[in-house]
Amino acid sequence: MLSKSICQSVLARALRGGGTFAEIFFEDTRSFGLTLRSGVIENAAVSRPRGAGVRIYDGLRSIYVYTCDVSEAGLLRAADRAAAAVTDTKGTGRDVVLHEKTFTDMHPVSLPTLSVSAKRRAGVLRDADRAARAVDSRISQVTCGLLSREQHVLIANSEGLYTGDTRTYTRLTCSAVASSGAENQTGMEGPGALMGFELFETRVDPADAGAKAAKTAVTMLDAPYVSAGEMPVVIAGGFGGVIFHEACGHSLEATSVEPGMSEFAGRLGETIAAPCVTAIDDGTMKNEWGSGNIDDEGNPTTRLVLIENGVLKNYMIDRLNGLKMGMAPTGSGRRESYAYAPTSRMRNTYIAAGQDDEQEMIRTMGDGLYAAQMGGGSVNPATGEFNFSVREGYLVRDGKIASPVRGASLIGRGSEILMRIDRVGREMTMGQGMCGSSSGSVPTNVGQPTIRVSRLTVGGK
Amino acid sequence: MENSFDIREFSRQALAAAQAAGISPAETTLSMSESFSVRVREGKMEDYKVCDHFRLTLRGRWQGRIGTASTQAVDEESLVMLIQGVKESAELIETDEQDDILPPDAHYSAVCNYSEDVNAVSAEDKIALAMRIDARLSAQDARIKPDACVVSSASETYALCNTLGLDLSHCSNMIYAYASCLAKEDGQAATGFKLLWGYSMEDVDAIQIADGCIADALEKLGAGRLTSGARSAVIRGSAMADLLSTFSGVFSADNAQKGMSLLAGREGETIASACVTLTDDPLMPWGLSSCPFDREGAATISKNVIERGTLTTLLHNRKTAKKAGVSTTGNAAGSGRVAPSNFYIRPGSASQQALLESMENGLLITELSGLHAGANPISGDFSLLARGFEIAGGKPVRAVEQFTVAGNFFSLLQDITAVADDLRFEGSPIGSPSVAVRQLNIAGE
Repeated sequence: MLSKSICQSVLARALRGGGTFAEIFFEDTRSFGLTLRSGVIENAAVSRPRGAGVRIYDGLRSIYVYTCDVSEAGLLRAADRAAAAVTDTKGTGRDVVLHEKTFTDMHPVSLPTLSVSAKRRAGVLRDADRAARAVDSRISQVTCGLLSREQHVLIANSEGLYTGDTRTYTRLTCSAVASSGAENQTGMEGPGALMGFELFETRVDPADAGAKAAKTAVTMLDAPYVSAGEMPVVIAGGFGGVIFHEACGHSLEATSVEPGMSEFAGRLGETIAAPCVTAIDDGTMKNEWGSGNIDDEGNPTTRLVLIENGVLKNYMIDRLNGLKMGMAPTGSGRRESYAYAPTSRMRNTYIAAGQDDEQEMIRTMGDGLYAAQMGGGSVNPATGEFNFSVREGYLVRDGKIASPVRGASLIGRGSEILMRIDRVGREMTMGQGMCGSSSGSVPTNVGQPTIRVSRLTVGGK
Repeated sequence: MENSFDIREFSRQALAAAQAAGISPAETTLSMSESFSVRVREGKMEDYKVCDHFRLTLRGRWQGRIGTASTQAVDEESLVMLIQGVKESAELIETDEQDDILPPDAHYSAVCNYSEDVNAVSAEDKIALAMRIDARLSAQDARIKPDACVVSSASETYALCNTLGLDLSHCSNMIYAYASCLAKEDGQAATGFKLLWGYSMEDVDAIQIADGCIADALEKLGAGRLTSGARSAVIRGSAMADLLSTFSGVFSADNAQKGMSLLAGREGETIASACVTLTDDPLMPWGLSSCPFDREGAATISKNVIERGTLTTLLHNRKTAKKAGVSTTGNAAGSGRVAPSNFYIRPGSASQQALLESMENGLLITELSGLHAGANPISGDFSLLARGFEIAGGKPVRAVEQFTVAGNFFSLLQDITAVADDLRFEGSPIGSPSVAVRQLNIAGE
């Protein structure tokens, strides 16, 4: 890790020709990946990403220089390269005095994955693989991965902050292929958390994850294509929360709001969703996949109410966009690694539990689609146009779940779908994903109870 | 960067340390890159980014298996970690399907995708270019709100070195610029985007980028919806390239041999319409993915993967080729995987306009979204958000949006009735001309 005195001299060097703020983000990470395919361990690799980024605010402009050379000379060189781009030369030559700030670790790790024997780690994959193959003889391939990552970060800035954190991530991914010979279908599960190997003692049964992935694949192999059209859709909890993440979450990030490239820009205090919708982005949830003690700008993470009973309450704001918007940052500044300048990002984002009965929403929906498992999706925040794939879908006929259907996708506009949510169930569950945006790919949770949307365009054959 | 000499020296040390630790043969891959990027919005520079980056990977045979470890840190701790990491990795792995470590091939072709002209462009020139694009974007049309104008350059050196005499290195660079904007009219909003890339300032013309971006946004305004049903379609080259890119894994012999591609064992069969020839060309002059050697040091070659509708070969590395009883196609992508290089559908002779005229009535699909989620390379199924134009009498009559296009990639290849002459690589090594398709399933209102 970098000493206080090195950080002080690098920050002072960065600001020697002007600039209003300087920051160092240093990371030294150990990452371990293990893959099992065709029943055998196929890949095992350890890697050590390490580097640092120096950021300067030149007025409201961001200058970012990163390097793998983290020697004092290398960091000073990075500071020089950044300083060379500064145009606002007021307030040159500031001294920087750093004060160490420590945080209570809200996300303790009891069993660092890298301390667990290789055999035991491989055992997790074997359990998942065995359970998946046991589901059906038509399971033709199973790929399981174990990802362990220990990211040590140090953040220092010209306002005197000198702090650090260690983030430990563990995730199991299972992908199963069911094949009839002429056709293939797939199922996926990817449970993970901000914790060590105790994940598999406290939260996740690898066999359960493998079996679930295999069941989806087999169910879809037997399913006909969904017929396309507009219809009511009930979306189950857990990864179903991806619909809020895409349809609305990205459009509430300052990255889209500040430049006016969001359909929700300038609408704080307005009703943007049905009254049954309350949505929260919470970086403080204990040991959750999208949580952290501090964000990647060194601010404590927060619990942020985005929408309360349909009314837009807050945006997710990073430091620089906060300055541009005249609003306080919300501990939402995140980045994949030192190779990215941070920006406002989601953490654990979910629709909060409501009052409605899950059985009733299907019983009273008439004909439509029940999306038991969602795949991924994407959105254009400027226009709100989103799309998602349904990984496991069922046709609902006359209020009853009738038969599985494959190949469904859901499309629409964020502002429209939020108004059309007419039921919100009582139990919120979450799923894990990797969210991609301008500051790279970061772990995020999505979540919701089972919800119903009165009308959505369902794509299919 | 710690000058590249230090890193290359560190790479040599790692190789020597591996041998001393009984890891033999051993191989290092060294990737070193530098990039610069500037973003301008509404007359102001908002972002300025400079990067240098390297990654050293050590692979080697230990107790019969090949292990892997990598680092971005040049220090003693890394050296220890690399040696231990390779050993642990080799002890865990239970298959021989790692990329092998072998002596060099007898001959490597030459290919160039590195230009001194890129290096000659100063940071000031790149900022000025971004400013020019932004100024043009702001001045043309009141309905347009500029979003971002980005100019970026990047260079990469990739070096492969092993204890069996292999010592290869390849440098590439490029410059690219793009603009994005928002068009608003009558409560409707649409985004526009245009990217150009190449190897000198002449390749990234400010006016073409700005005007292209504006045209892209404006043509989407006033879009209506479609009713559900099956329709004939022409898919614009950029959208078809996105689809090809998403499904490129089906041509991997590694995926095929592991039951992850429906093309397994289908070499010699007709899998596409006779007008489709699909080429993988790692030796394309100035290609984005051009390189004389692949990730296991095998010489790369140009080949047709589909020739007039017939699947001629899958893409191989040495291991998959050995298993299939053929020669490697030079497509090793690292970690035992296989991937295409510059990969494209060969252009035909008719213009896109001619394709629309012979279709008469149907759709021109200009954009497909959500490919990472709505398309499944293992089943071939896709169901994607799309936009485009309704075509009547061979002409676009109105813009359409908020519909999905569903189908299966393998059926689509068979259903292509014509290939246009407009092949382009839009900032990606995977390209396609526009293609006419017999029928696609549309879901709309």
